[in-house]
Amino acid sequence: MPKRRDILAIVLIVLPWTLLITVWHQSAITPLLAARKCKDDRHESRRDSRNTFTLKEPCTSENNKDIVEVVRTEYVYSRQPPWSDVLATLHVITPTYSRPVQKAELTRLANTFLHVPNLHWILVEDSQRQTLLVTRLLQETGLNYTHLNVETPRNYKLRGDMRDPRIPRGTMQRNLALRWLRETFSPNNSNSQPGIVYFADDDNTYSLDLFEEMRSTRKVSVWPVAFVGGLRYESPKVNTLGKVYGWKTVFDPNRPFAIDMAGFAVNLRLILFKPQAYFKLRGVKGGYQESSLLRELVTLSDLEPKAANCTKVLVWHTRTEKPVLVNEGKKGFTDSNVEI
Amino acid sequence: MATRMKLKLKTVFVLYFMVSLMGLIYALMQLGQRCDCAEHDMPKDRTISRLRGELHRLQEQMRKAEPTKLPHKLAVKPAQPTIYIITPTYTRFVQKAELTRLAQTFLHVPQLHWILVEDSPHKTPLVSGFLASSGLAYTHLHTPTPRDRKLQEGDPSWLKPRGAEQRNEGLRWLREDRRGQPGADTQLGVVYFADDDNTYSLQLFEEMRGTQRVSVWPVGLVGGMRYERPVVEGGKVVRFHTGWRPSRPFPLDMAGFAVSLKLVIANQDACFDGDAPMGFLESSFLQGLVTMDELEPKAENCTKVLVWHTRTEKPKMKREEALQKQGLGSDTAVECVRQPVLHQACECQRDGVGVFFFFFFLL
Repeated sequence: MPKRRDILAIVLIVLPWTLLITVWHQSAITPLLAARKCKDDRHESRRDSRNTFTLKEPCTSENNKDIVEVVRTEYVYSRQPPWSDVLATLHVITPTYSRPVQKAELTRLANTFLHVPNLHWILVEDSQRQTLLVTRLLQETGLNYTHLNVETPRNYKLRGDMRDPRIPRGTMQRNLALRWLRETFSPNNSNSQPGIVYFADDDNTYSLDLFEEMRSTRKVSVWPVAFVGGLRYESPKVNTLGKVYGWKTVFDPNRPFAIDMAGFAVNLRLILFKPQAYFKLRGVKGGYQESSLLRELVTLSDLEPKAANCTKVLVWHTRTEKPVLVNEGKKGFTDSNVEI
Repeated sequence: MATRMKLKLKTVFVLYFMVSLMGLIYALMQLGQRCDCAEHDMPKDRTISRLRGELHRLQEQMRKAEPTKLPHKLAVKPAQPTIYIITPTYTRFVQKAELTRLAQTFLHVPQLHWILVEDSPHKTPLVSGFLASSGLAYTHLHTPTPRDRKLQEGDPSWLKPRGAEQRNEGLRWLREDRRGQPGADTQLGVVYFADDDNTYSLQLFEEMRGTQRVSVWPVGLVGGMRYERPVVEGGKVVRFHTGWRPSRPFPLDMAGFAVSLKLVIANQDACFDGDAPMGFLESSFLQGLVTMDELEPKAENCTKVLVWHTRTEKPKMKREEALQKQGLGSDTAVECVRQPVLHQACECQRDGVGVFFFFFFLL
C-alpha cells in the first residue's frame, strides 16, 4: 500500500515538471537566446565594418500584428501599389536627415511613390538611432520599405553640431544602402530578381514617367535633370546612333560623368557584380561625387539614354526653402510634442 | 516516528505539487505571448509576411476597383461630398515641378475636382498640356493680376497678398457652375484653397470632407513657427495660437481652413479682398461667412499637423561673379570655375550664355 502511494506521489511530482519543461522551452528561453544573439550580431558587424560605419538594425518585432513580422533588414510587405511579378523592382535609395521640413518632404515623396508599382524604398537616416517620425511615417504610407540609418561623423571642432563638410551630404547613407543591397541579394539570382537602383533625394520632384523609363535599364541609364548646374536643365549629349558622347553642361563638362545624382539609374546586377563600387567618401571635388561611383561601374559608351534620347525633362532638382522660425524664440513657442 | 515522518513528507509533497502546478499555469500563460526576435523562425516569418502582403495587396486592389478615379460625374458615389480645390498658379521655372507633385498627391484623393487658375491673360500651353495628361478632374481658368497688385522682381513674397484675384475667379466659376445645376445633391461639397507649393498629407482631405460650415486645423512651418493652430476647448475654437498678429479676426493661413460649398453658394458676395493689409487676406473672406465659435476643429481637435506651408527655392540661374568667390557649394553649385582665373571665367560666361539661348530655343 505505501508503495502505491509513493508511486502516486512521484508521478504527481514528475508530471507537472515534464509538462513545464516542454512548454517553457518552446516559448520563454528561445527569445532570450535570440535577443542575445541579436546583440552579438550588432557587435560583430561593428567589428568587421569597412568605411567606418555601423549597421544598426532594430531587433524587435511588430507586436501589433497577429503574425510576427521581423522588422530588421527585411521587406515589410504591406498593401501597396500594384505589385507585378513581371516588372523589375525599383530600389529607390533616399538619404534623409532631421530638419523642420523633413516630414513634409517625405510625405509628398511617399505620395509620389505610392503610384509606382514594384517600388522598394530604402530610406536611410543620417542619425545615430532611427527616429520615431520616420518609422511611423513609413508604416503609415504602406509602401514597401527598408529603414536604415547611419550617422555622418560630426565635426565637433566647428561651431555647433556641424557635420564634417569634407564628406558630401548623403554619401555614407547611400553607401550603406548599397551595402545592404549587396548583402541582401546575391549575384546568382540576378535573373530571377531583376532590379534597378535609383538615388532619389527627398526634396526633388519626380514625374511618374521617369520610373517607367528607368525600368528598362540594362547597365546604367541617364536622362536630363532640371535646375542643376545653374541651367534650366543639364543633359547628356546623344549622337544620332543613340549613344552618349558628352555632357551638355556649363559647370565642368569635362567630368567623367557630368550628371546629377537624380539623373541616372543602375541595374542591380551591375551593383552586385562590382561589389567594390561605392561613392568616394573623402577628397571628392564638388560635382564629382556621381563620377566617383559611376566610373567604377560603366564607361561612357555603355550609357543608355532615356527620356526620348534625353530631350524630355522628367525630374526636377527642386530645393525647399528653409522655413524661418523666428517666432519660436528661445524657449519654443509651440508645443514640441506636436510632430511636424 | 514513522507517522510523523510520513506527515511531514505528505506536506512536502503537497507543497511541491502546488508549486509545480503554479509553474505550469504560468508557463501555459506564456504560451499565448509572442516571441521576440524569432531568429529560429525566419524563413517561416518571411513566407507569412509575404503571403500577408499578397493578401493585403489583393484586398487593396479590390477596394480600389470600386470607386473610380475617372473624371466622370456619373461613376461616382453620390453620398461622398466632392472636394473642390482652388489653386492659383503663375509661370515660373518651378511651376511644372510644383504642379506635378501636387497632382501626384491629388490623384490619391477620391471625389476631387481641381480648379487651377493661372495668373495670366490667357491659358498657357504648359498648364493646358499638363492638366490634360494629369488624370484628374479639373477646370482650367485664368485671370491676370492687375499690375499695381503684382509683386515686382526683388519684392519679398509677403509684400502683397497673392492669388486673391485667381481665387475669386475660382469661386465665381464654382458659383456659376452650381447655379446651372440646381438640386440638393450638387450643393454637397467642400472648397479648399491649396497653394501649389505647399505639402498636403492624404489624411487632410478626409478630415475636411465632412465640413458643415468652416473647418479649421493646424498648419506647419508658417507664421515664423513650427506650426500655427486654433486652440480648441470643449470641442470649440476659443482662440488661435499664432506668433504673428493674433488679433486678426482669423489669424489662419490659407491652407488651414475649408469652407462648405453650401456656404460659398449661400454667400454670393464673399470673396478675397486683394487690397487687404498683409495677413488679412483670409480674414477678408471668412469674416462674412462664419464666427469663431461656429468653426469646426479637425485633425484631432487641432493637435495634428496634416499640411505644411513649404516654399520652394528659386533655382539659381544667373551666373554672377560673386558665386565664383564662394568656392565649393552644394552639389548643385552654379559657379562655372572655382579658381580665380578671370580669363576662364569670361569664356565660361560666354559659353553659358550661348548654351542658355540654345536650350531656350530648343524648348
